[in-house]
Amino acid sequence: MREVAIIGAGMIPFGRRDQDTLLDMLAYASLKALDDAGLGDKSVDAVYVANMGAGMLQHQTAIASALVDRLSLLPAAADAIENGPASGASAIKNGLLAVASGYYNLVLVAGGEKMREVTGWKATDFVATMTHPEVEYPYGITLPGMAGMFTRLYMEKYGVTREQLVDVAIKNQKMGALNPYAHVEMAITKEGIMDSRDAVVNNPVAADPLHLYDLCPVSDGAAAVILCPLDLAKKIAPKTPVLVAGFGQATDTHTLQERDDPTELKAVQLAAQQAFERAKLKPADMDVAELHDAFTILEIAESEQVGFFKKGEGGKAASAGKTGLGGQIPINMSGGLKARGHPVGATGVAQVVEVVFQLRHELEKNRQVKDAKNGFTINFGGFGNNVVAFVLRRVEA
Amino acid sequence: MNEIPIKAYKCKKCGRVHYPFHDRCLDCKGREFEVIAPRGNAKLLAYTQIFNLPWGFDERFLIIGVAQFENGVKAMGQVKADSLDGIKSGMKMRASWEPVRKVHGENVFGLKFEPVK
Repeated sequence: MREVAIIGAGMIPFGRRDQDTLLDMLAYASLKALDDAGLGDKSVDAVYVANMGAGMLQHQTAIASALVDRLSLLPAAADAIENGPASGASAIKNGLLAVASGYYNLVLVAGGEKMREVTGWKATDFVATMTHPEVEYPYGITLPGMAGMFTRLYMEKYGVTREQLVDVAIKNQKMGALNPYAHVEMAITKEGIMDSRDAVVNNPVAADPLHLYDLCPVSDGAAAVILCPLDLAKKIAPKTPVLVAGFGQATDTHTLQERDDPTELKAVQLAAQQAFERAKLKPADMDVAELHDAFTILEIAESEQVGFFKKGEGGKAASAGKTGLGGQIPINMSGGLKARGHPVGATGVAQVVEVVFQLRHELEKNRQVKDAKNGFTINFGGFGNNVVAFVLRRVEA
Repeated sequence: MNEIPIKAYKCKKCGRVHYPFHDRCLDCKGREFEVIAPRGNAKLLAYTQIFNLPWGFDERFLIIGVAQFENGVKAMGQVKADSLDGIKSGMKMRASWEPVRKVHGENVFGLKFEPVK
């Protein structure tokens, strides 16, 4: 197996992008990644496109075939990858394996989703189609609803508090306000969403005990990376290459009700363990992490499950500032899904793009983790039933 | 209690109860199952009240929970309550089989749980 590096990364601002089609967004992000890698008018061997809902939301299928045509990358191999909200990291994993195996040298991975062209209740229904079609979906359960049940169980078992959830939301929206790619560029205060009479109006219950500001927004967006063998990267990359040092992927039961302990995110733990083992690194070696905070509780639970904090300590760590810039492990310096946004097919790619920017030391001082060498991502599908993790490492010259 | 036409599956090899169906047991990989129905009252394990509902629901909110029947069957259902006041994890629920949504004007039936007073 060959070592694989990321030599190009690009994304477009997430948000409501009425002016762009899904294909427009995928093309813009892909061109940015191709240019970032210095590939100019060169082609690639293969393209993997992560997308969850074009068939349902845009009535468009075979999106990878459309993208290679649009980008004049013919006759590159092209595949679309659908793995729910973990589609992005799954697509990168497939690109990684293709390059590591020696079958392909240059691979483009693009992830995109256009969710805002349908109404909120259609978008909620679209995401809810991940739930079990016979024993969950008919009842009207939503992903926020799943997260609400999970949060209550977590509060009962580990004593996570509403204030700790609010602290995560405040941190991530503060970082999102500094990120030019973020959907939500608005810092919030505890007074505004918790500690005042106005908070009742500003931050109503969405899926008890979760409130509106515990949830990520529904977003449009796209992101892309270029993968190649490390040996080739050292010769052609115009910027510091980033090694995909380790990856992991694991699955769990489709329904929450069949987990022995629903507060254990086993797939998160296993995917992270695999990624750390393959990278020969430990959680304590990570300088920065992008976790899948579709709901604030998930940032806390994942930070424990991957080994940054002991079980039951993640909420306290967040409130103590250990997950902020300059803290023990800065988490979601992009604003996370909570503020950068969550165009589901794009998210896993966007997380990796953010960590690449961090490891290349390219960000503004107010978001850059100083001297970051190792980064980590968790992309979480379903309600934790399909999870992909990466450990990324800066390749020193 | 009206009849609840749910089929759960008890592994003949290790006894694990499955709902929904799996072709192989989640614990021992066994492929033979005894079909069982949920029996008795149920204990509420988890619940939430959802205000942002998906397409297809006209209600202002839904209360949804997961409960475990006396013979081990765990299932999701809608909770019959006006609010979360008085709803608690671990409380005893009575189950019934009732319309839970409409699709193309037709009722879709499913589980509903109601607190046992």
